[in-house]
Amino acid sequence: MEDKKIVGMALDPQYARYIYSETNPDDAMRKPEALDDVMVLDMSYGSYAGIFASSILAELGAEVIRIEPPEGDIARKMTPYGIMVKDAGLAYLTEGRNKFHVTLNIKSEEGRDMLKRLVKKADVLIESFKPGYMDSLGVGYRQLKEINPGLIYCAISAYGHFGKDAESRPNQPDYDLTDQARGVIMSVTGEPELDPEVPEEYKKPLKHGNWMGWYVGGAWAAFGILLALLYKRKTGKGQMIDLSPPEGLLAISNYLMQYFHLTKKKMVRAGNFDYAVFPYTYVRCKDGYTFMSGFTDPNWAALCEIMNRPDLQQKYPTIRERLNPENQPAIQHEIEKFTMNYTAAEILEMVTEYSRRPDKKGTVVTGRLNAPKEVMEVEHFRIKRTFVKLKDPHYGEVLVPNSTLRYMSKTPGRVKWVCRPVGADNEYIYGKYLGISGEKLEKLREMGIV
Amino acid sequence: MREYMEFVKSLLGAEEIFDRPEPLKGVRVLEVCSVVLGPSATDYLAEFGAEVIKFEAKRGDQMRYVTPYAYFWRNLSPGLLEQNHNKYWVGMHLGHPKARELFYEFVKKSDVVVDNLTPGRLSKWGIGYDRLREINPRIIQLHVSGFGTWGPYTGRTSYDAIAQSEGGLAYITGFEGRGPIKSGVWIADWTTGLMCAIAIVAALNYRERTGEGQYIDYSQVENIIRFLDWTWTYIDITGKNRERVGNRDLAICPSDLFDCKDGWVAIVAFTEEEFMGLCKAMDRMDLYERFADPLERLKDENARYILKEIAEWAKNKTVKEIEDLADRYGFAATHVVDAEEAYYSEHLRERGAIMEYDDPLYGKFVEPCYPPRMETSSRLKWGARPMGFDNEFVLTKYLGLSMEEIEKLYEEGVIYKWNPAVPSQCPPPDWDGKKGLKFP
Repeated sequence: MEDKKIVGMALDPQYARYIYSETNPDDAMRKPEALDDVMVLDMSYGSYAGIFASSILAELGAEVIRIEPPEGDIARKMTPYGIMVKDAGLAYLTEGRNKFHVTLNIKSEEGRDMLKRLVKKADVLIESFKPGYMDSLGVGYRQLKEINPGLIYCAISAYGHFGKDAESRPNQPDYDLTDQARGVIMSVTGEPELDPEVPEEYKKPLKHGNWMGWYVGGAWAAFGILLALLYKRKTGKGQMIDLSPPEGLLAISNYLMQYFHLTKKKMVRAGNFDYAVFPYTYVRCKDGYTFMSGFTDPNWAALCEIMNRPDLQQKYPTIRERLNPENQPAIQHEIEKFTMNYTAAEILEMVTEYSRRPDKKGTVVTGRLNAPKEVMEVEHFRIKRTFVKLKDPHYGEVLVPNSTLRYMSKTPGRVKWVCRPVGADNEYIYGKYLGISGEKLEKLREMGIV
Repeated sequence: MREYMEFVKSLLGAEEIFDRPEPLKGVRVLEVCSVVLGPSATDYLAEFGAEVIKFEAKRGDQMRYVTPYAYFWRNLSPGLLEQNHNKYWVGMHLGHPKARELFYEFVKKSDVVVDNLTPGRLSKWGIGYDRLREINPRIIQLHVSGFGTWGPYTGRTSYDAIAQSEGGLAYITGFEGRGPIKSGVWIADWTTGLMCAIAIVAALNYRERTGEGQYIDYSQVENIIRFLDWTWTYIDITGKNRERVGNRDLAICPSDLFDCKDGWVAIVAFTEEEFMGLCKAMDRMDLYERFADPLERLKDENARYILKEIAEWAKNKTVKEIEDLADRYGFAATHVVDAEEAYYSEHLRERGAIMEYDDPLYGKFVEPCYPPRMETSSRLKWGARPMGFDNEFVLTKYLGLSMEEIEKLYEEGVIYKWNPAVPSQCPPPDWDGKKGLKFP
């Protein structure tokens, strides 16, 4: 690779080259995998929290076996506008990576017996049924830990498997939107409450555009599972993990609870303003939107200098003035008077040039607000292989985001294959672990068990 | 059901959290971080039992100065507290040659080093991975920044909001026909920190198997890209962009936020069974008959029609009425929970999702405690500390330095404490000079 593509704007080019050599993506497939001694049964149903959790483990080399009911996981059908590629929607294709797919009807006794036999050999089980459902079938944590005391049993549900609300709302399924709604962050996300120019109909909570509730929930589940695996390696003991995705969002909701505890006051929706750091905002520019910041006193001075607006610095000299919600729309408006004259790229150039000046007053940070389509064209991401296009034997050419764990020097995360059809690995997995193949398997198929 | 939940509560409930084991007991982490991204990664480890030693530059962690409405509690910035628990605080400038030698001594006795400074800053100080692996081959070193340590954009400054905008999240968040909206929190920092913690614990697992440490490079902007579910596959297949659609979910129908008589309610019902439940609750079995198939419902025209019908129905109901119907008919419905409701929730306290602790320096605090609930659970021991607060404790306990040697380090400017002229670096104004100190 060309040297300047590797070193970019690096502070220490030699170190950039060294890290490149340690994490060269060309070597990834030849290196060991961190979790290739771990077997995971992912029987989550209709839950991208479960599926994302098992994606992380699968990227790290775990043998992940997705157990679907004979008709397939409903998650396969969660896809924009109903677009399907054979039996998988676009979200499912994105998260089918490196996983094996078997079917099993756990409503039948034979199916549950097969599950128990698999559990004996497994390290991790992930499920997302309503609390108590698995227990009522005789395959909950209480029963399975008797079969395998080393089992890590991770249950994902809207309200958790115990607690007052779990008891009063056991019949509600877990979905991304309801997770976001219960996760506190949504209450402060949306158009600014205190901006008179925002029409009333838009002054309401707003979810993140993606499945933030599910992805954050899935990441927490994977984190818990990895902690439990480490503990198991040291002690041999398994354990139960109870993940409620809204708690995952609440736990990362900035200072909202601390501030409420101290003042008994709530934050309001700030839109692109920020009542703890400002300016730190998206502003309109000639070709869309761009981010502009300069919130500490020196950084604000630098921003005012770049805009050639010393008057603004005098008018809003300290963070007290700049964090005042009433001043923020006005400051935003003044910054836009400047940015509207330039494209995002021109602004980045001006800011970068300023940052090299020996007499600079502080640091200003800017960056274009990219449409997703533009993100895919950025050279940096192409060189870093942020996206990979795989030729899947079943689904054809599919582009998916790469594993973000691929820059681990010894055990890089990776994507080996895209996805598998419903039940595609029945023969392999049941043959390998249970000695069920050929006629026996055919018989189970006829009985509707696999 | 009740009996099952009692069983789970006996394993995971908040009451006896301190009597349960910690999964990261004995794992020592050196934090060379500031702001939210890096400190959150180590905070996740600290609440699960790791010993995190935080090295702070002389100007202080930037979050000492980031606080809502410029509000401080007894000199403490709530912005600093939110991602700093159970840590040991050292004021030491690692660019100082003497500090570097001390840091090497720490590295010999530690498991993990984390930084979120400009990529290459640590190597300039002589504490890059090329050097640290020689000192301790078992060390796991993670660097996280906007764009990583190599590549055309390396060296570019990044913040949470840059990752949200450059990674495409801000573009897809917002109402149809309105502008893009930033998350209400520093979501790119927190989620990237979480994936860093995942990478570190994966590396600890690998080291447990093989004895080998490793280096990890992590990019914040890429992390946001990874979290955008079907966006990329969709663009690749259709050639179209993904646009903003408010609270509607393009891949799950119905799933939206609706206006009721007395507030908003989020309603979701995707499986045939759940959708039938919702249609029964609405007394609109005609909708079920037409749209039982989830894939049919996802077609744009059908989705808009279904959501409109639900909106018409919901506007004459109260939020509570719809939530109760959801329990009865088995679909999902909830109001939007805010910080106040979560704060007073018995449910969250019972689960240990919110925990009260009595900090010797700042008094009683109530804060979220990291998920998931597990037998080897997370816990809150203490909060953030003034600059250099644990210098003596850390240098004595880990390196065995004498008080004379420590005194000399102060004189030489290698280590330091809070600057009395900067209140948010300082202990509370009424501090007695003893409370909260671990040594002497």
